[in-house]
Amino acid sequence: MRRCTECAVDIEGTWTLCPLCGAPVAGETVPSPMPTVPLTFSRRRVLKVLFLTSIAVIAASLAGQLLLGRGPEGFGVLRSSWLGVTAMWLVVLMAIRKRRNVAKGTVYLVVLIGLVCVYWDYLTGWRAWSLTYAVPIVCASSIVALLITLWAMHLEVAEHILYSGLTVLLGLAPIGFLAFGWVTNPLAPAICGALSVIALVVLQLARGAEVRRELVRRLHL
Amino acid sequence: MTHRDWVRLDNASNIFLAARSASDPKVFRSSAEVDHAVDPQLLQEALDETYDRYRLYHAVLQSGLFWYYLQDSDLRPLVTEDKQHICAPIYQAGRRTLLFRVVYHRRRIVLEVFHALSDGTGASWFLSDLVNAYIRRRYPDQSPPLAEATGANALRAEPGRSDAGSQADDGASDDTAEPEHGLPTDSFEHYFHHRRTSPASGSTFSRAAVPAALTIDDSAQPSSAHRATRRLHRPLKKVHQVGGTRTPDNRTRAVELTMSAAAVLDLARAEGVSITMYLTALFFESIRLSSGGLGKNRTLAASVPVNLRQFFPSTSARNFFATVRVEHTYGEGDDGLGSICKHLEGQFLPQATKEALEKKLRWFIRAERMPGLRIIPRPLKDVFLGLINRGSNRSLSVAVSNLGRMSLPEPAESHVGRMLFQVSAVRPQFCATSHAGLLTISFTSPFTETGHVKEFARMLTANEIDVTVAAERVTEAELAEGES
Repeated sequence: MRRCTECAVDIEGTWTLCPLCGAPVAGETVPSPMPTVPLTFSRRRVLKVLFLTSIAVIAASLAGQLLLGRGPEGFGVLRSSWLGVTAMWLVVLMAIRKRRNVAKGTVYLVVLIGLVCVYWDYLTGWRAWSLTYAVPIVCASSIVALLITLWAMHLEVAEHILYSGLTVLLGLAPIGFLAFGWVTNPLAPAICGALSVIALVVLQLARGAEVRRELVRRLHL
Repeated sequence: MTHRDWVRLDNASNIFLAARSASDPKVFRSSAEVDHAVDPQLLQEALDETYDRYRLYHAVLQSGLFWYYLQDSDLRPLVTEDKQHICAPIYQAGRRTLLFRVVYHRRRIVLEVFHALSDGTGASWFLSDLVNAYIRRRYPDQSPPLAEATGANALRAEPGRSDAGSQADDGASDDTAEPEHGLPTDSFEHYFHHRRTSPASGSTFSRAAVPAALTIDDSAQPSSAHRATRRLHRPLKKVHQVGGTRTPDNRTRAVELTMSAAAVLDLARAEGVSITMYLTALFFESIRLSSGGLGKNRTLAASVPVNLRQFFPSTSARNFFATVRVEHTYGEGDDGLGSICKHLEGQFLPQATKEALEKKLRWFIRAERMPGLRIIPRPLKDVFLGLINRGSNRSLSVAVSNLGRMSLPEPAESHVGRMLFQVSAVRPQFCATSHAGLLTISFTSPFTETGHVKEFARMLTANEIDVTVAAERVTEAELAEGES
C-alpha cells in the first residue's frame, strides 16, 4: 500500500499524491476499492435551460401577436406561419416532456391545442371556428385515440385511468359551448359530447372501481 | 388487472423529497467487503431471494395531489457493476423506478437506497440478508442447513439483526402468514398517532427486537419544522457554515478512513464519553483547524440521527429515526478535546431519551396533521418544506452518524471484512460503522476540499492509530491521474 508520510496514513488505490494533503506518496499500489468514474455532465441541466428558454420565447411570441393588432386584414402569411411554428414548437415540447405517460401527455396536448386555437381565433377577429370545429375535433380524436391506445398497448390501467378520465371530461366541454350558443354549427360539439358520454359510461362500467381507488390514492389527505 | 397496494409516505420521508438537490440527491450507500471478487451471477440470485422477502423494496414512488405515496410494483432489480459515482441520484420525478440499486465492484457488494424508502437501519437489514444469501451460495459447504424457505410469501423480512448477530430467519418462521402485497407500516403513525392510514398494511409489530445501531444521518430531519418554529422563541447563535468548491459534476466527495475499532474505543473511553461524541468532537476540531480558526462564527453544530427502534421496537424497514442537535462554541471556556466531548455528551444524552424524543415527534406529527397544512397541494408543500429545510440547514455545520457495530449471521460473518456507510451530503459529514474489528469512518461532502479529513486523520495518527485512506476521484486532475 502507498503511504503518505505527512499524514502518516496508508492509501488504497493508485494515488501519486495524497488525497488528503496533496503531498507525494510512495510505496506499492493496491487496487482502489472504488471505481474511477469519469465526469458526467448533466444533460438534464442543459435540457432544463433549453426548455425554459423555449417557453419564454413561445410566451413572448404569443404575447407579441397581440401588439400587431387583431382582425383578418392584418393577418398575412407571415403572421400565420409565425403562430403556426410557435404552436408546433409548444406542442412538440410538451409531447416530449410528457412522453412517459401517454394519458397525461394527451391531457396536456388537448388543453394546449385548444387554448392556442381559441387564441388564434381571437387574433383573427373571432369567428368561433375554434370552438365550433377545432376544440371538439381535437377532444373527440384524443378520446378515441386514448381508448384505442389503452386497449391495444395493454398499459397498466391504474397509471392512466386518472388522466384518461380527465381527457374524457374535457370532451364534455363542447356540450357547454353548445348550451351557451358559442358555436356556429352544432355538429362537431354534439358528436364530441356524445363520444365523451359514451366513454364515461364505458369507463364507469369497465373500470369504475379502479377509478375510485385511484382517486382515493391520489387525493388522500 | 391487479389491484396495487399503496401506503402513504411516512413523515420523515416527505422532507427528503422536498430537500433533494443536484448535489444532494438524498441517497445513501451501504457496502460490505467480502474476501473474494464478487460473482455477479450469484449476487443476482441472492438479490432475487432477498427482494422477494422485503416487500417494501418493491415500492415505487407516486405523487398524489396532497402527498407522495409508495405503491407496490412488479419491477425486478438487476445487479450491475458499479459504474456511477457514489450516491448517484435514484429517484427522478415522474419515473416509476425502484428506489434502490445493488451494484458491485471488485470485492464490494453495495446497496444504494433513496432515503425516502428506508433509513440506515432498515437498509442494513436488507444488506445483511443479501450478503448472507450471497455467501451461502458462494460457500455452500460452509452453510448451516436451511429450513424450507417460504420465499415470496414471507412479506415481512426477518432481518439479521445487528445487535445480537442472530441468525437471519429465512422466512421459515411460525409467523402469521401475511397478505400478498402488504407494504409495511409507518412506525411514526403506529407510535405517535394510534391510527393506521395505510389500507394495505399487513405488517404486525410483534417483533420486539431492537437494533443496536444508530441510524442514518441527514440534514433533512423530521424535527426541522419543530426547530424552525422554536427558533422564534429561542434565538440561536449564528453557526459556522463550512463552504468550499463544488465538485465539477455535483458528485459526492467520498473519503473513507479505516482503522482498528478497539483502538478508537479506547481513546473515547479514556475521555469517558461515547464513541459517537468523541468522533464528533474530533470532527469539530478538524473543521476548526482546516478553516484556519473558524473566523467570525465560532459555534459549530452537528446533527446526530438517533434510531428510534431502540426506544419504540419496530420491525418496519421504513424511516424511523429522529435527529438530535449538539453544538460547541469555541472561545467560551476550555476548548480541549476532552472538555468538548464532555460538553457534547452532556447535550446529547438528555435529548436522546425516550421521553425527549417522544415529545419532539408528537409535536411534529401534530404539525403534520394540521388540517390547514394537509390541504396544501403537494407541489406547494414541497416548496414550503424545502424552505423549512433550508432554514434548518443554516443552524448546522456538520452531520455525524454512527451506525455502531454490525454483525452478520454465519456464514457471512466470517467472509465479510469492512462494512461502510455513506450518505450524499449537503454539508460535510461522516458516517461511522464497524465490522470485523474495523471501524470505517466515511466522510462525504458536496465540496472538493479534504482539509477536514486530513486534520481528522492526522489527529488519529498522532494517537498511534493506523489509518488507511481510500478516496473517490472527483476533480478533473484526480480523474486524469487515475486513468493514466
